[in-house]
Amino acid sequence: MTGIIQMQDIFLSVAVIIVIASFVSLYRGIEGPGIFNRIIAVNVIGTKTIVLLVLIGFIYERPDFFDIALVYAILNFIMTIAATRY
Amino acid sequence: MFDSIIIIIVVLLLLIGLFFMLAGTIGFVRFPDFYSRMHATGKCDTLGEGLMLFALIIYETGYEGLFKGDLQHASFVSIKIILLILFILLANPTSTHAIAKAAHDVGLQPWKKTDETQWMYDQDSGTDEVINGGEIK
Repeated sequence: MTGIIQMQDIFLSVAVIIVIASFVSLYRGIEGPGIFNRIIAVNVIGTKTIVLLVLIGFIYERPDFFDIALVYAILNFIMTIAATRY
Repeated sequence: MFDSIIIIIVVLLLLIGLFFMLAGTIGFVRFPDFYSRMHATGKCDTLGEGLMLFALIIYETGYEGLFKGDLQHASFVSIKIILLILFILLANPTSTHAIAKAAHDVGLQPWKKTDETQWMYDQDSGTDEVINGGEIK
């Protein structure tokens, strides 16, 4: 039951569902009325991408992806604050 | 035995986090107003992401660390993910508050239930510049 391959399959399934959810969010980003819906769509997709990067780091067993996820979180936060200030 | 318990806890936390994230996405697409959409995404995304990263911490510490004997590498990875969770818990409500404050300053009106047809007419004809049917204060 507890093989390492099986856990990686579970992580891969969760990652695929997150990708589908981010594409559903992209609909609101393209279609949504007003600039604020687009800003919040970018924020939501960035939030999903952080979890996706950590899951990819677990699937391929490469810890470098956690640093990339941290940097992506900081960039996402700064981008949102800059867009709202503008 | 202990191995199986850790795996079950990890999968359960992953599924709960995935449920919150999907609920946030559905609310983001289906809700009628900008503010209610932000209500859905701001809570569900933060909670779903926190739970999923917490599940990954339990997996790394319990499975990789205790059973494979690589505890130093496991704690190194876990501290990084804990930093990521702390940063997200700080940054995500801050950005949500900033977006809401910017929208309120521009003059985006909240959705009222009485003028539903008028709202649909306004949102259908809205572009990037004309927010809320041209009623910018």
